[in-house]
Amino acid sequence: MAKVKDYGNAELEEKLSDTSYYTDDSNPQFLEDVKKISRTAANMCFQCGTCTGSCPSAPRSSYRIRLFMRRAVLGLEKEALNDPDLWLCTTCYSCTDRCPRDLAPTDVIMAMRNLAFKQDIVPRNFLKTVQLIYKTGHGVPNNDVNRAARVKLGLPADPPTTHSYPEFIPGIQKIMDFYKMKDTADRILAEESK
Amino acid sequence: MRQYAFFLGCIAPNRYPGCEAAAIKTSEKLGIELLPLKGASCCPAPGAFGSIDLNVWYALAARNIVLAEEMNMDITLICNGCYKSIWEVNHILKNNDELRDGVNEVLAEADMEFKGSIDVWHLIELYYDEKICGVEKVRASVTHPLSGTRIAPHYGCHLLKPAKERHFGDSENPMWFEELIDALGAESVQYRNKMQCCGAGGGVRGFDLTHALDITNEKMINIQEVGADALTEFCPFCQLQYDRGQVEIQEKFGQAYNLPVLHYNELLGLAQGMTPQELALDLHAVDCTPFLEKIL
Repeated sequence: MAKVKDYGNAELEEKLSDTSYYTDDSNPQFLEDVKKISRTAANMCFQCGTCTGSCPSAPRSSYRIRLFMRRAVLGLEKEALNDPDLWLCTTCYSCTDRCPRDLAPTDVIMAMRNLAFKQDIVPRNFLKTVQLIYKTGHGVPNNDVNRAARVKLGLPADPPTTHSYPEFIPGIQKIMDFYKMKDTADRILAEESK
Repeated sequence: MRQYAFFLGCIAPNRYPGCEAAAIKTSEKLGIELLPLKGASCCPAPGAFGSIDLNVWYALAARNIVLAEEMNMDITLICNGCYKSIWEVNHILKNNDELRDGVNEVLAEADMEFKGSIDVWHLIELYYDEKICGVEKVRASVTHPLSGTRIAPHYGCHLLKPAKERHFGDSENPMWFEELIDALGAESVQYRNKMQCCGAGGGVRGFDLTHALDITNEKMINIQEVGADALTEFCPFCQLQYDRGQVEIQEKFGQAYNLPVLHYNELLGLAQGMTPQELALDLHAVDCTPFLEKIL
């Protein structure tokens, strides 16, 4: 019969069971949330730095994808979500293709951005895109110069998208309303303009 | 004639309509008929939407896919960003029951259901696919070869990467796009760090334009180094970043490149005898005339 191994000291057992070495600043749930949203095992990162070495944003800013991976593992939620560098990832997926542990650091960044948005931390340009799609179905809507050019090409002035079939827009709005996305965008932008 | 539902996205129809017109006309000559996907919306932009709420991104992309399912037709598209949204969400929802159930709960609000009954293709992969078109068929369709021009390829990011979830093989130094460029009678050229991002994605163009342009500028330096007459890609968002970006680079950094940027469908259109007017090349921020003078 195997014997249960222990140190016979409750305090020491508890300390050693904390395999992620969480500190007072860390939120263990943060790592779990990141893993769930990103669908990648972020805790497997061993900090080799291949991601930062592959990153087109790294040479021209203080953005370090490896640092964000570490913040995920350590549960450093505030440090990760409050850092504006979070929004300098172009999502090129070079780090993901080269990660020797087969992780997706890009998707970790996407997950952290999703979590930041839940706390109203979001660059304002993203909110304007939300408003445009809610209203027109397009993130980049048509304009008069382009309409004239389309007609010259023998195309309809408006493409056969929601622009020509606005009856599809309420469906889009219902989907966005399901997640209260437009309300959130409106509220944040309204608070700002006060 | 193979038929596909043509998902337009935003930038092609609303900023570079020549890409849309060229895609329809050039594909017809290759046995591919593109039919309108009525009521489609923004894909939605993977950087802008995926960054703030992936659930909305899944659901809105799924709505576009369902429109094609209702037509009982595969989707084809001409933008890497759209490919990430439409192909990837189709792929994820086909293979993840939990996410699919969640999306269908939301789609029910719009009386729709994702069934997973169609596939999604980038038009460029249909061109390269021997079973559907193939390089030789592209070559045979050329009536006005782009002889004497040197053209730099830009693959962009979201068609090939992440490679393990895609089906395009090597993402470090692929060469298949070069075959398609050479088929037009042009000479494709290699340059440093060919696979680097254009700089626009992930919402960075909107968040920090100078940062995005600095990445673009590095690409421009590397392309200038090998002396190309034009840059070609198969992503209108990359096209916008390179084309309008060159004007912005000139304003911000004082460097001028004057390198014409053309979508592969625009190049194919020229090679099949379409005129610059039929491609609305005058809407490009960088003057295409020097390139056109070489081939017309």
